[in-house]
Amino acid sequence: MPDAQDAISTLTRIAEDPHAYAESWKRKQQRKVIGTFPMNFPAELVHAAGALPVVVQDDRAPITLGRTLMYEFYCGYARSLTDQAATRKLGVFDAFFLVDHCVALLGAVDAMRFELPEQPVFLAQYTASMDEEWTPPEVRKKVESLQTQLEELCAVTISKEALAHSIRVFNRNRQLLRQVYDLRRSGRTRITSTQMQMLVKSSMVMDIEEHTAILSGLLQSLEKERATNPNLVRLHLSGHFCHGPRPELLDIIESCGAVVVDDDLYTGFRYISTDVPELGDPVDALTRWYFDRNTNVPCATRAQKNVDWESYLLQSLKNSGAAGVVVLMAKFCEPHMLYYPELRKALLRSKVPHLLIETEHEGLPAESIRVRMEAFLEQVRRPAATAAA
Amino acid sequence: MMESSQQMVADRVSASPVFGNGERANRLKSTRFGGKLVNDYWENLFRAKEQGKKVIWYNGTYIPPFFHSHDVAWVHGEAWAANLAARHDEIPAQQAGEARGYDRELCSYARTHIGQALLDRESLDNGTLGINPNGPRAALMRKLPMPDMIINAYPYCSTGQQWDDITYRMFGKKIPMFTIQVPLLWGGRPDAGYIRGSEWRQRSKYVADQLVAMTKFMEEHTGRKFDFDRLSETMGFVKKAAELRLEAMDLCTATPSPASFFDWIVSIAPVNFLPGDQNLVTYFEGVKAEIQQRIAEGVGAVKDEKYRLFFDGMMNWNKVGWLADKFAAVNACVVAGRYTHMSFWQEPQLIDLKSPVLGMAQNYLVCPNNHGAPIMIGEIEKICDKFNIDGMVMHASRTCRGMSNSQFLIADSAKRNGRQAMFFEGDVADESFYKDELLNTRLEAMIETMDARRRLVA
Repeated sequence: MPDAQDAISTLTRIAEDPHAYAESWKRKQQRKVIGTFPMNFPAELVHAAGALPVVVQDDRAPITLGRTLMYEFYCGYARSLTDQAATRKLGVFDAFFLVDHCVALLGAVDAMRFELPEQPVFLAQYTASMDEEWTPPEVRKKVESLQTQLEELCAVTISKEALAHSIRVFNRNRQLLRQVYDLRRSGRTRITSTQMQMLVKSSMVMDIEEHTAILSGLLQSLEKERATNPNLVRLHLSGHFCHGPRPELLDIIESCGAVVVDDDLYTGFRYISTDVPELGDPVDALTRWYFDRNTNVPCATRAQKNVDWESYLLQSLKNSGAAGVVVLMAKFCEPHMLYYPELRKALLRSKVPHLLIETEHEGLPAESIRVRMEAFLEQVRRPAATAAA
Repeated sequence: MMESSQQMVADRVSASPVFGNGERANRLKSTRFGGKLVNDYWENLFRAKEQGKKVIWYNGTYIPPFFHSHDVAWVHGEAWAANLAARHDEIPAQQAGEARGYDRELCSYARTHIGQALLDRESLDNGTLGINPNGPRAALMRKLPMPDMIINAYPYCSTGQQWDDITYRMFGKKIPMFTIQVPLLWGGRPDAGYIRGSEWRQRSKYVADQLVAMTKFMEEHTGRKFDFDRLSETMGFVKKAAELRLEAMDLCTATPSPASFFDWIVSIAPVNFLPGDQNLVTYFEGVKAEIQQRIAEGVGAVKDEKYRLFFDGMMNWNKVGWLADKFAAVNACVVAGRYTHMSFWQEPQLIDLKSPVLGMAQNYLVCPNNHGAPIMIGEIEKICDKFNIDGMVMHASRTCRGMSNSQFLIADSAKRNGRQAMFFEGDVADESFYKDELLNTRLEAMIETMDARRRLVA
């Protein structure tokens, strides 16, 4: 599939060096580039203000100067943010916006304020407890405040029409990415986990219309495929908030005789799971989206009584036919550490084999993981033997 | 061989390596009354169900005046975990948490509380815990009353909020739960400052409205009307105690300081979770009187005080006495700290006893880590100036990101203001992260540097 490979290569190149893309875009467009942080920021607002929204990615470089801002017992993403600020790698951004409530992320962004005093950092902290009656109006106020701050920053007025247009543009992109997921689940195409991550990550950092154009071409190629992998173990990748697991790790997982057919990673299905309602007031719609996302793909960072991540996960396994789950946990990610036993309990109860792999910003014990993966896949292939043991 | 190692053990007076001059902290005697109050509180709590009281489990800020005024019993998860750590009873609970899948890098308050309250109890009941089911520890565990309601009111720390969500799930989602959002004061607006500005005013009202909603939640689940007059009465005691506490703290600008950070640490329970009654006032009257007496007699919390330090970070609850003696052994008095001096009804003048809820909300908002770093660090510097601080001790509490965020920035600020700064590793409730010898060498190095600087100035 040469056309598909070209498209994937293009998107991979951009995903791997988002700052170069943003600099080029800024030069050509003479408009602002806005850095946003995971996992709930509504990029549509930035787009409607005429700027480029870019989810700030973690950087592969080992942490150096960032050690003077944040302890080693923080997640790799938070440490990488502070390191990128300290090593002056974030110069392309005109400002940063955060809506999430994670204690590590708040610490990292606060440190960035000190390192990058010329680049404003806006916080509109969304309420993480979803059930209280004041949460929706409070989140709506935050969406409005984001709009006001972006209007001031970009010296524009964001009309309802412009925002509604941006919502449609982003929905279209998410829908196309979900079509790729559908093809992957059906087995009609063989998109590797690394490739899938690059498709999603590139959508986080690119001009969304340009991304959609490339993605449309890619989908046409993929739909012609009829790939089948009857002997491979079908797996679901779960977890890994805020930043993507390293491609090397994903390659190891798949090289052991598995095919990943679904995921709930942030740099995966979690990011593109939910569209923003297109009817009605667009600020209301962006508010609604925050709640809809957590209902569709529940997240450990939110407290919502009527949804469970584990229930979602078990249903996803039924939908995709995945026979096992690899839980990817970024070391020191507190929301994931605290919720993991709930997942574990549910998977054990449902007799779904699962393997927990902890990831770190630096260092990947490749051979150790390979051996664990091989043993895990044996377990998946021989459930009866495992049960007997 | 056996005799030899027994002799070695006998030769050592403690597990501590040789350090300092052997002096120990001169702790306030008046704080012993607090020990009695704490014991009384737990004993009352253990009898709550017998007394027909509903029990609320809560985490976060100091909202018990609402509970006390409504005649319900309450369990503060952090206090329970700290209590276990201070009694050195925390390790089996943490092991039980690990067995269920909780990583040891996770907040040790949360995993100790969950491990102790739920997991150990399960194992105890089915006989798999591995401790003597008739022993005192098992008896203590059985005493903790299970919740009728769960309330979360956690400033700043996202884990604090999620912790109660997990507790709610572990009880099968059957216990009614209420969550109060105490939003971070980011300080991004031009008019932002410490307890001023539009963000401050908006957030104050937002939290106050939620507190009123919490009283409705309690009404719904107790079938009794909430008595706001009773709340005013309760807050009368709390406000008076808070004022006395601050007055006593201010007296520690004296040299030598008559009390230390560690005295204020053991004085947290009264202003954090104990019942709001006359005992709180009596406690701080006693503390203040003893401090005044010490000043009159020229007695310090540390013998021959030479250095005045500030403690940043959450307390290491396994090591309160140990650390108090550690600093005393180098003639260093830890005079103040972020945890003790920037929280726990720190702004009592904001509380209008005729209508206390707004002022209570505002006190909850000024939790020591609930400000963005620029404003928070400014307030720390004011305290350091006030108490004539020579150096900062940064406790890198391993599993408490809420209090370890910004510590490098705080240390930088201290250095810019001519103060020394050192870091040491530990944790709030997991002793395994504490590294005694590293603290020894770093503390010695800081003392030497402060000496050298003084010689240079002289």
